[in-house]
Amino acid sequence: MNIKSVQKKLDKIDGGSFKVSEADNMRIVTGTSGDWNAIISACQAAVSSDKNIHVVNKVKFTGGQDAPMRVPEICDNSLEGEEPDVLIIGGGISGASIAREMSKHKLNILLVEKESDLAMQASGRNDGEVHPGVDLSKGSLKQHYVLLGNRMYGDVCRDLGVPFERCGQYVGFTQKSLKPVIAAYVLMRKNIDGVKDTVLLSGEELHKREPNLNKDFKFAIYNPSAGCVCPYGLTIAYAENAVQNGVRVSLNTAVLGMKVKSEKITEVVTNRGTVYPKIVINAAGVFADNIAEMAHDMFFSIHPRRGTNSILDKKAGKYIHCISSIKKLTNNKSHTKGGGILHTVHGNLLVGPDAVETWEKENVATNPESIDNVFNKQRETSDKISKRDIITYFTGVRAPTFEEDFIIEKGRNTANIIHCAGIQSPGLTTAPAVALDIEKMAVEMLTGMGISVRTNTEFNPKREPIPVLRNMSDEERSKKILENPDYGEIVCRCEEVSKGEIIDALKSPICVPTVDGIKKRVRPGMGRCQGGFCSPAVVKIIAEFTGKNLSDVRKSSESSVILYGGTKEGEADEQ
Amino acid sequence: MIELTCIECPNGCAMTVDNSENEIKVTGNRCKRGVSFAVSELTNPMRTICSTVKTAFDFCPVLPVRVSGEIPKDKIFEVMAVINKTTVKNKVRRGDIIIPDVLNLGVDIIATSDILST
Amino acid sequence: MSSEPNRANIKKSYYDVIVIGGGPAGLAAAIEADKNGASVLLVEREQRLGGILKQCIHDGFGLVRFKEKLSGPEYAERFTDMLKDTDVEITVLTFVTAAHRTSSGFDITLVSRDGVCTVSSKSLILATGCRERTAKQVFIHGTRPSGIFTAGTAQNFTNILGQLPCKKCVILGSGDIGLIMARRLTLEGAEVIGVYEAKPTPSGLTRNIHQCLHDFGIPLYLSKTVTRVFGSDRLTAVEISSVDKNMTPIPGTEEKIECDGLILSVGLIPENELAEDLGVEIDPKTKGPLCDENLMTSVPGIFSCGNALHVNDLVDYVSESGETAGKAAALYSQKNYAYAAVNANSDISYVVPEKITLDGMDKDVIFYFRSREIMNACTLTVKAGDKELLKKKYAFLRPPEMERLKIRFSADDLKDIGEIEFLLEGEKV
Repeated sequence: MNIKSVQKKLDKIDGGSFKVSEADNMRIVTGTSGDWNAIISACQAAVSSDKNIHVVNKVKFTGGQDAPMRVPEICDNSLEGEEPDVLIIGGGISGASIAREMSKHKLNILLVEKESDLAMQASGRNDGEVHPGVDLSKGSLKQHYVLLGNRMYGDVCRDLGVPFERCGQYVGFTQKSLKPVIAAYVLMRKNIDGVKDTVLLSGEELHKREPNLNKDFKFAIYNPSAGCVCPYGLTIAYAENAVQNGVRVSLNTAVLGMKVKSEKITEVVTNRGTVYPKIVINAAGVFADNIAEMAHDMFFSIHPRRGTNSILDKKAGKYIHCISSIKKLTNNKSHTKGGGILHTVHGNLLVGPDAVETWEKENVATNPESIDNVFNKQRETSDKISKRDIITYFTGVRAPTFEEDFIIEKGRNTANIIHCAGIQSPGLTTAPAVALDIEKMAVEMLTGMGISVRTNTEFNPKREPIPVLRNMSDEERSKKILENPDYGEIVCRCEEVSKGEIIDALKSPICVPTVDGIKKRVRPGMGRCQGGFCSPAVVKIIAEFTGKNLSDVRKSSESSVILYGGTKEGEADEQ
Repeated sequence: MIELTCIECPNGCAMTVDNSENEIKVTGNRCKRGVSFAVSELTNPMRTICSTVKTAFDFCPVLPVRVSGEIPKDKIFEVMAVINKTTVKNKVRRGDIIIPDVLNLGVDIIATSDILST
Repeated sequence: MSSEPNRANIKKSYYDVIVIGGGPAGLAAAIEADKNGASVLLVEREQRLGGILKQCIHDGFGLVRFKEKLSGPEYAERFTDMLKDTDVEITVLTFVTAAHRTSSGFDITLVSRDGVCTVSSKSLILATGCRERTAKQVFIHGTRPSGIFTAGTAQNFTNILGQLPCKKCVILGSGDIGLIMARRLTLEGAEVIGVYEAKPTPSGLTRNIHQCLHDFGIPLYLSKTVTRVFGSDRLTAVEISSVDKNMTPIPGTEEKIECDGLILSVGLIPENELAEDLGVEIDPKTKGPLCDENLMTSVPGIFSCGNALHVNDLVDYVSESGETAGKAAALYSQKNYAYAAVNANSDISYVVPEKITLDGMDKDVIFYFRSREIMNACTLTVKAGDKELLKKKYAFLRPPEMERLKIRFSADDLKDIGEIEFLLEGEKV
């Protein structure tokens, strides 16, 4: 569609508030509107069939204001003057996996993450599905990487010591009449997507395998290669392995600006000092377009999309052992699968997510409507799910481009940046494969700059995970406890986490001595009491280990104070 | 006429107190403790308080304590101030006096746990 | 089975009775089982016995049993002192990871700093207490800042660790722990803005409303709840909404209150995960095991007591149920009897026990029940078949206040009857 036809379409949206222009492989949408959904519609309407051309949203939105990017309180010079060969911006699954793959080379690599831990945004706030790779448009980067990534999962998770289950995915249909159409579709997708093991199951076979799914399912698509993983667990594991292989990770470090000279980034300003990297990798999630803009290389726009998931008690875990969802051929317009029910690697059920467009990149507050919508829909997948079994819920913000595809490429205007942007579902699945390609691109870029990239001969792809005692046999567990009695002291009763495991997490390569940091690594507080019983004990263990006062232990960020200090002043002069 | 909830026991009787004629008449109480509570509440309300005191021991930073008898309600925060300024340095036992005759009120602050001594 | 070498604390591989949980129910159960001649192992997961009483430093415990106003630690330590004169073996810092039924009883897997071991028993007493409902379980939305605590967690921080968890807080729920914490936090220097209760009537004991709130000028707001929390790091504010009869928030009634703490006292849930693993049937009304008058569950040889059985209002009754279970567990022999079900009309929210053994014996049975709503001038009638066993008038009944009854059953009463009926009739407020 040429630009004139696009403008005609735009004229019909929001009373013709929008203008589109074309420049340097961009379609720039301008105008003013107070209707965010209209802006989204306009930008979507401007999407080109040429995959090289991206929509850039420059519309002035008057209906609300996104809060400025959250910046850590810490302000020091710990990174001042650093000259890393590679600066990776973002400690999500993309940045962490890239850091790990880059650590195969003898390079000075620095990863900066503005939050107090890794996987704090979308990478820690998704359902953990490892996608089978159907349902994506042909020729997209998503589709290219999803198959590669999915196949890598077994090995990657084994190397990194992360639990992964290829539990399979069922998409159920209640309308029997659709079967021939779906059968043809499955066959077509097989040939297009190359997912050879996708099959159509009879209702009878489906109910034999998963007796608690909707009894009205007449048949289902079954994707045996689908699986689930703990998304923040994998991100942390990738980053830890990177650190073991020489990468430095600087948390609480936000990129605040850049200096670009002769089409090259020369300086990157952070709250921890100015860094002078040879090359920059943009893995900044929802802020990837802001980073690109700082680098004078903004040729795409991110439009944040919120999704909320609920976690159900492990008691509900017994109902469903796979990933499952219902498909109706009616409301298929939204950019999400509409959520599903997923049996997590930890044995809970996860229900969701929904998809809501938003202008707020970091607003992860939950809303009751999200939970209600998802449950109303997913009760049709299985009537066993109940809001009464919810132990917690969380919201994440996806980072799609208007083309709804990834951007994995070198800078267009700036020579020493590589973008890993527009990463949304199935970004977790694709990460291992994308990281390999970015590694190649980075090595090529560095070599082109005359930097010799040698192999890191000490690279060890294996990460030794923290032992999970609840999963051990009694004999094995007893042996471990004899070695270290702290493994025999249970701190978290719901998840059966020992003091030893918590101390292991505090000793891990990227120590995050906060209640949430420990919770993400070894799970105290993840269970049905949500830390009600164990949080005082966890705070105490962290304080003892770090030598801090109890009141200096945080939930996550520096401002997330838990305790305000002792209630008693005691005697003025103690003997 | 005054409405009062008796706090002497978990029954929490809802009582009506009539003190119009130099004589306190109580109704709604299920036992005679209600009458004495009502009289006290109207003349000199008394309460017990429980808190903790700082200790010199890492394994138990605070020790639970209470008053050995009732104190005037309006002295609660003054007693708390004394409690807050106290540090226990010995391995006291349950019932041991931590602060004798607090504020000359005729009651002691006593330890309510053996945690330091066991 | 018992191939493990590590049982430093645990001298034997078999006990007549294993008690799981060393809180007030478990302590009483262990002492009573010992008194009745059983060899007993008491398993406690924390360092010290006493359960939640360790942090309940306020007074008012033991009025029924000891006729004294004791603090929680004092009450608990009276029992741990009594325990010293028994042959009960105690293992602390010990966690039960699994329990299985065997042909002769039960195998319990224990994890401690000494390793993993399996111990067997003839009977099992589950005195596992209860847990608190969390913010997400009452569907509070918004961000996930620090500063949101269940009342019990705030109590632990304040009373055990001696740390102030908030400076200016809102308390949601008028359950007793919430009221107690309103006073505790006020005494320790925090400001309590108010206690908000979604129900139209308070959930805690009336005397606690008086001595914990009125005494300190803390307002209690009924039919209002917290619907949203704010703050990306520490809590900065909560949104309060009025609720309708179905406790659904009414749009347009929202008000934002600045605070740095939200303390939740929104209900207790009996902890019965272990019981469920063992196949024990749970009463949906109490959320505890369905029991007979000996507090034996649907699984022969497994007994339940304390707050795991049903949430009690007074610790005195927790101890009493522990004693009932302890004695019965010690005397337990595998005999099968028929039961008469205990049924109640809709004005009673629950009755414990839920069934009575038809063993042809005269017996005293202790019942605990709660009314569903506040009732004035009401009458409880208990019938066995057509025979009226008891008729009792109450000036009023309030759901937060549990009622206890002892009823004498003669062998005759229990002959050929299918059920025992509890009928509550009277004027609802």
